[in-house]
Amino acid sequence: MGILARGDDSVEILKIKGLKKTYGGKTVINGVDLTISRGEVAVVLGPSGCGKTTLLKCVNGLESHQGGVILFNGQPLGEGGLKWTLARQKIGMVFQSYDLFPHMTVLSNVMLGPLRAQKRAKDEVYAQALELLDRVGLSDRRDDYPRQLSGGQKQRIAIVRALCMNPELMLFDEVTASLDPEMVREVLDVMMGLAKRGMTMLIVTHEMEFAKAAADRIIFMDEGVIAEESEAGDFFKSPRTERAKRFLNTFYFD
Amino acid sequence: MKGKTNGTLRTMTALAAGLLAAGLLTACQPNSNDTPAQSSGGDTPREQDAQEQDAREPDASQAELERGATAEIRERGKVRIAVFADKPPFGYLDETGANAGFDIVIAKRVAKDLLGDENAVEWAHVEPANRVDYLESDKVDLVFANFTVTPERSERVDFALPYMKVALGVVSPEAAPINDVSDLEGEQLIVIKGTTAETYFTNEYPEIELLKFDEISEAFQALTDGRGAGLAQDNTFLFAWANENPGYAVGVGSLGNQDVIAPAVRKGNAELLEWLNEELRALGEERFIHQAYDEALAPIYGDVVNPEDLVVEGGEL
Amino acid sequence: MPNSGIDALLSVNNLTRLGQGLAVTLKLSIISIAISLALGLIYGIAMTTKNKLLYGLLKLYLEAFRVIPLLVWLFLLFFGGARAFGADTDGFTASVIVFSMWGTVEMGDIIRGAVQSIPACQRLSAEALGMTKARIYRHVIIPQAVRRFTPAAINLVTRMIKTSSLAVFVGVTEILRVGKQIIEFNMMKNPMASFWIYAFIFVVYFIICYPVSRLSKRLEAKWEY
Repeated sequence: MGILARGDDSVEILKIKGLKKTYGGKTVINGVDLTISRGEVAVVLGPSGCGKTTLLKCVNGLESHQGGVILFNGQPLGEGGLKWTLARQKIGMVFQSYDLFPHMTVLSNVMLGPLRAQKRAKDEVYAQALELLDRVGLSDRRDDYPRQLSGGQKQRIAIVRALCMNPELMLFDEVTASLDPEMVREVLDVMMGLAKRGMTMLIVTHEMEFAKAAADRIIFMDEGVIAEESEAGDFFKSPRTERAKRFLNTFYFD
Repeated sequence: MKGKTNGTLRTMTALAAGLLAAGLLTACQPNSNDTPAQSSGGDTPREQDAQEQDAREPDASQAELERGATAEIRERGKVRIAVFADKPPFGYLDETGANAGFDIVIAKRVAKDLLGDENAVEWAHVEPANRVDYLESDKVDLVFANFTVTPERSERVDFALPYMKVALGVVSPEAAPINDVSDLEGEQLIVIKGTTAETYFTNEYPEIELLKFDEISEAFQALTDGRGAGLAQDNTFLFAWANENPGYAVGVGSLGNQDVIAPAVRKGNAELLEWLNEELRALGEERFIHQAYDEALAPIYGDVVNPEDLVVEGGEL
Repeated sequence: MPNSGIDALLSVNNLTRLGQGLAVTLKLSIISIAISLALGLIYGIAMTTKNKLLYGLLKLYLEAFRVIPLLVWLFLLFFGGARAFGADTDGFTASVIVFSMWGTVEMGDIIRGAVQSIPACQRLSAEALGMTKARIYRHVIIPQAVRRFTPAAINLVTRMIKTSSLAVFVGVTEILRVGKQIIEFNMMKNPMASFWIYAFIFVVYFIICYPVSRLSKRLEAKWEY
């Protein structure tokens, strides 16, 4: 299975040390340390504006950071380390607004990265793309254009597009936030399936039930720092910090 | 559609020509570097003449560079002549698309006398507005394009001896003839915008009401529709038109200042100018301009025009 | 009227000449449009630069063509160039150069607008696939920009075809000029010639430009998403 291919057997796939990100004089991330192990599903929670999306974008270099280091498989990323274009071929990302390429068919969207960034053979990529599309139940839509698809279908394609690169780590940035409620489930099911297959994932979401069910670990961020980090079960039963309690309370009606 | 197209083009030419005249032309005066010096052949440089003719160009090097103009043309084997392609009967293209007309007959003879072959000509088709530019930028050696001599133009090009003279005329229906300007009192006179006729009547007879048109064809249409008592234009043109249109006659045959039409060379091109004047004198002796008239104009003017009213031989008015 | 004047149009000689004029019009237009497309792409992408100096220079060049009439550029190159530098360009070449320079900036500005109208997230999601900048342009930005720029570009193309008639002022004998020559030749005998000749030229321009704008409509419909 492609997605489970391992370059080395180190347990730590991602290690972030003292990450700082400022944006026009404003500090968005103020010293984040985080380690993700291979096969782990980590869910980042936190109020909006806490820096969680920015954290994700720093990991694959879509946002530059001003302090700290990011190690991927022990190798520093960015300037002086592994080039971002290469790092991104191993770190997949799915966005809130799907961002499929509207001028390409579903199949072309999925095959673009493997062919043009990874320069893999077309036959092999084609076979893998069909298999992945089939797995999310959309192989019959391979020749459609994004505009012909529903939001949920688009997001599933976006996930397949990232998976077809055989990433070692997947970043999910509020991928269900733009979806109509009845479509949220089909996307979360795909992610759940990935978790079961052992994909390492760093997920930003507001779906609490999903977080409970899928996450190995919860990372609670507030005001640019990690305020609390615990086993998923513990976090929802008994959050240690006041901030986390207050945050969780906003999701329940007593 | 037609009036609009031409009107726009005309406006744009006028605009561009104005802009050019205002700034660009003066900015890029003909300086020394555009013609490679020709040392071979040529007559004695007539530097003095060149200087007198061109007060703006005191630099003698200009005349020196021009000294070999005829030699340069002979070396090239072709003389570049600017003519009209859409002004019959003076310069136009015939049914087959070949250059023809009064100007062309004379120009071909000049080419023959210069190069021994009347077809050794590179024709450039010009518009009224860019004849001066063609000479100034050395795109052509000679202009034979119904070029009326005016003081303004004489500052920028050198005219040779004239070969034709023109005056204004008024054409009218034979049934209601206009035989004198006084007959126009209380009547409308048709003119074409931007012509000498318009300027002349506006200045000299402001009391005569003018009916103005953009296009020659519109103006004649108006005359045949009876919208004006007469139409004022170059007399030569009117003679030709009246000859083709029975029932109309040129009642007023010669009006206003007589203008002369002459070929021109680039300002300061004294050697070529001198050669051309000699040539025109020689042609005058053999009455060649009359031959050109018979060939190009007589078929159109018929016997209503006296060639002596038009033709100038040897530059003698 | 002695006759309808249509014989001026129907003579074989005249039709042949109008055809030759049309060929000149098309040749001039097609060469200028092709150069404008190629250079306009480079110019347009360069216009999206964040370098203020480069942008300023490119913008100045653009404004120079917007502010100064094309005919002046034509005269400047054809006559002024000869006067100032002894650069003896023939009328056709001068026209191609000026129309291409103009077309490049107009095309470039359209391309710039199209490129900048592509949402930033399109670039981000392509970057997230590990694609290089050049490949992102090649496979994601430009194909989408082309679809957005097509209607405006086609409009420019038809404008360029029509503007090619300015070349008569530097001695190029294109279709409009041939028409005028035939009309003037027939002036005396056949005053209605002008109607038929101009009607013919009108139809010819229509025949060239109409399919181009139809094509644009069809592409727009096809690329709608």
